[in-house]
Amino acid sequence: MSLADQPRHGYALLKDIERLSQGRARLSTGTLYGALRRLLEDRWIERFEQEDTSRDKQAYRLTASGRRQLARDLDRMQQLTRAGMARLRASEA
Amino acid sequence: MGRTYRFLLHLYPRKFRETFGEEMLRVFQEAAEEQRKRGPLAYAAFALRETLGLLLALPGAWLGGQPIRPLEMASEASGLPADVAQAQRCIDASIQGMVQAIAHHQFEKARFYSLAERKAREDMRRLKEAHGISD
Repeated sequence: MSLADQPRHGYALLKDIERLSQGRARLSTGTLYGALRRLLEDRWIERFEQEDTSRDKQAYRLTASGRRQLARDLDRMQQLTRAGMARLRASEA
Repeated sequence: MGRTYRFLLHLYPRKFRETFGEEMLRVFQEAAEEQRKRGPLAYAAFALRETLGLLLALPGAWLGGQPIRPLEMASEASGLPADVAQAQRCIDASIQGMVQAIAHHQFEKARFYSLAERKAREDMRRLKEAHGISD
């Protein structure tokens, strides 16, 4: 999800995931790169060289199929949230 | 800590190290620099998180270390239609996510992956029916 709006390199991903989760998810580099490897294998993201940066040249971006998969996953989460909220409301009524 | 990090990285498969090793070390050094500024407690928590993170991600790096290949090739290799192969990867990814979440004591997340796995298995059952594949 962190790559949905723009490509990012490793450190920027760590920071963005922490921000997105409001500080609750602080990934280690081992966890991050394990996940990146799986996403690369699934062809949901791709790795490329960013020429305009001085430190981290390798950056990651979503592929078209990764974007579709993300949309599907978010849709599932939304359905799950709606179902959960509906049950909560029903139990309160 | 840098030395420990390098040592732990050497426990990873060669291909993984060649692809990500230097990059991981750079990211680690950048993060370490920031955490050091936050004080000794923050740095100790960071060092612990990094050590555990590298150790916990180790089995995944060894077990999932097959060469990267496109979806079409993966489905050809397994002899399954592309959508069935994709459904299988969804199941595998959900299980991996669940294991990781449990390892990190993120039980809410683990429950989410468990539901995702159930849904992926249901998709798989429908796809296999449509393709006339028996278990």
